[in-house]
Amino acid sequence: MARARLVEALVRTGEEDRVAFRDLYSLTSAKLFGICYRICGERQAAEDVLHDVYLTIWKRAGAYEPSRASPITWLATIARNRAIDWQRAQTVRRSTPIEDAPEILDKAPLVSETMLHDEQSHLLQECLDLLEQRQRSAIHTAFFDGVTYAELAERQNIPLGTMKSWVRRGLARLRECLER
Amino acid sequence: MTDSRHLEIPGDEGPDMTAAELALGVLDGDERAHAMRRVLSEPGFARAVEQWRGYLSQLFDLWPALAAPDIFPRIERSIDRLSGATTVVHAQPRGSRLWPSLAALSSIAAVGLLMILLLRPIPLPTVPEPRQNVPVTAPQPTLVASLEPDTKALPMTVVYDQGSGTIRLTQSTLARADRSAQLWVIPADGTPRSLGLLQDRGGTALTLSPILRRHLAAGATLAVSIEPLGGSKTGLPTGPVVATGALAPV
Repeated sequence: MARARLVEALVRTGEEDRVAFRDLYSLTSAKLFGICYRICGERQAAEDVLHDVYLTIWKRAGAYEPSRASPITWLATIARNRAIDWQRAQTVRRSTPIEDAPEILDKAPLVSETMLHDEQSHLLQECLDLLEQRQRSAIHTAFFDGVTYAELAERQNIPLGTMKSWVRRGLARLRECLER
Repeated sequence: MTDSRHLEIPGDEGPDMTAAELALGVLDGDERAHAMRRVLSEPGFARAVEQWRGYLSQLFDLWPALAAPDIFPRIERSIDRLSGATTVVHAQPRGSRLWPSLAALSSIAAVGLLMILLLRPIPLPTVPEPRQNVPVTAPQPTLVASLEPDTKALPMTVVYDQGSGTIRLTQSTLARADRSAQLWVIPADGTPRSLGLLQDRGGTALTLSPILRRHLAAGATLAVSIEPLGGSKTGLPTGPVVATGALAPV
């Protein structure tokens, strides 16, 4: 199955196997490019960050522990963090969402569904559905666009304290739901 | 953790959800610095952050894939250069010629610290309380860096407390037994200054002299070079540079 193939490609990449690394790239580059593009907001930057992401993966794959994280989570976390690093290093902040970014759907067509998924995978989405729309939307934006409270508040044109309050209440409710 | 569940923060800014906020990435400035310190000092908090990170990672499912350009050849060239560069450094250990390129390198190797902290909380050595009277002024931010090794070793996390002048590093395994790994700062003037030697086992904590402290600011490059046992005799790095990173405020 796809997830097993991905784990194997990642583990063998950790052993400096270039063929496995190429396989890993073809299996995951679309997913990781989607992440970089969404956060960077421009194609050239997203390409540069993607390049960095795979270099990082090459160097760190040896430290991947299959028992601790799903391979796509491990890879996607690297991509998201690298893209956020890039975005926060830019002097001019984007104050509006990028126009042509692919839509994030509330109910996803699971592009890579065979890659992910353990028993818990839909729980978060179910719990997010219980939140007020503005709470859910703020949490979504923070995650997918990689932005801080300050930028969330600026985008919505509301006071910082109000935004913090929305998100915190949303997260608290989410935790109650997740731990139930 | 359960007792803080309904805790309201003064100013009605909602319940204390710091662990979730750090995992989500919405904090910045002092709030983020404070939360990062808690990750290092409170195992329960670190676990909560990791748990949230796990919850939130389910959202990766929703992320639309986008056909990527085939940059694999470029990636492979970079990997070749990576291993090639190390050979050049070994063959031509004239440290000073390497320094100008380091600033560029370290800015590329942007701080992946959050990920390191979240994926694997690393115990940092404790620093003895400073005995001298440090004048109390406005709180100074903590600076952090992630030193990316040239090899496939794990990055080292560096935390610099500007208030006490102490710098702490996670475990390093960079030097062979007959060598010393030496830590340097390259401030804006481009001249490396030695900060001290890394422990060959476990983490390292160094308390810096007031003169050295002046060189440690956000943006300064940190680098580790491999030197003869006991460190460079010349006052400048002489051996290959094996890890670099830039200091940044948390």
